[in-house]
Amino acid sequence: MVTELTDLTDQMKAAVGSTGPTVTYEVTTLGIRTFARAVGYRNPIYYDEAEAKEKGHPALVSPPGYYGMPVFNPLHQQARGPRASFDTPFKRNLNGGTEVEPLAPVYAGDVLEAVTTLANLTLTKGRMGQMLIQTSETVYTRKSDGKAVAKTRGTGISY
Amino acid sequence: MAQVYWDDVTEGQEIPALDEEMSSQRLVVWAAGSGDFYQIHFDDNFAKGNNLPDIIVHGALKGMLIGRALDEWVGDAGRIVQWGVSYRGMDPARQNIKVWGKVTRKYEAGGEGRIDLEVGCAQPNGTQTTPGTATVMLPKRA
Repeated sequence: MVTELTDLTDQMKAAVGSTGPTVTYEVTTLGIRTFARAVGYRNPIYYDEAEAKEKGHPALVSPPGYYGMPVFNPLHQQARGPRASFDTPFKRNLNGGTEVEPLAPVYAGDVLEAVTTLANLTLTKGRMGQMLIQTSETVYTRKSDGKAVAKTRGTGISY
Repeated sequence: MAQVYWDDVTEGQEIPALDEEMSSQRLVVWAAGSGDFYQIHFDDNFAKGNNLPDIIVHGALKGMLIGRALDEWVGDAGRIVQWGVSYRGMDPARQNIKVWGKVTRKYEAGGEGRIDLEVGCAQPNGTQTTPGTATVMLPKRA
């Protein structure tokens, strides 16, 4: 049983509004196809480069909500977002929700830089006892032209 | 699919629903596509050790299925402005998920045709697990 908090800790309060490190995401043809396959898309612009070009796109198109994968390197410590910048008694995490605001088309070959801000922390009581609701906002910017291509908002639930 | 036009949409109208099989194989493809390798989504023993009845569908996959239903509805000439969902209930794998959307408001913004929708995912028994909202742009007839 987790010790109940009467209020957000000072460390938690200080974390609200803080921004994590810039994380580089690569949007690849393999990544797009795997994502599109899992979600069940049948539109050829997500699989076939020639079809995408025929429809006026410069490359394979990234489906809505797909902004690539963070570049993985076991020799570097994985970037930790602002949600990891405070100590917490809560051990278990659930994905509470997702919001996506696509701002510009994304294509295979794009390299995106993602910056996440911890927008809010709230303590609540739920079925599983006390919970910490964490809302974070991420802006994805394309490296080649500096254009913001998407904003996402994620809700994490720790309990 | 034929392009849907803003002019022809009515409030209360439903968009074409998806009925998607959530096999263990599909969840593994999603793990690879999303980079979410948490074992409650593909390892039966691990899921049961976490007091779950079975492996469960990734919340984010449900969110992206709703994105697909919207993307397919708006077609080449339309655009998703935003969508957002809450993961309120767990969906065990190995059963279907119905993805649905219903038009709640039709209006214009900056000369564009806009549509607000209520969206969600439902289990075969009707339980709603993933309520949300969306806004899309649809082309107007010339």
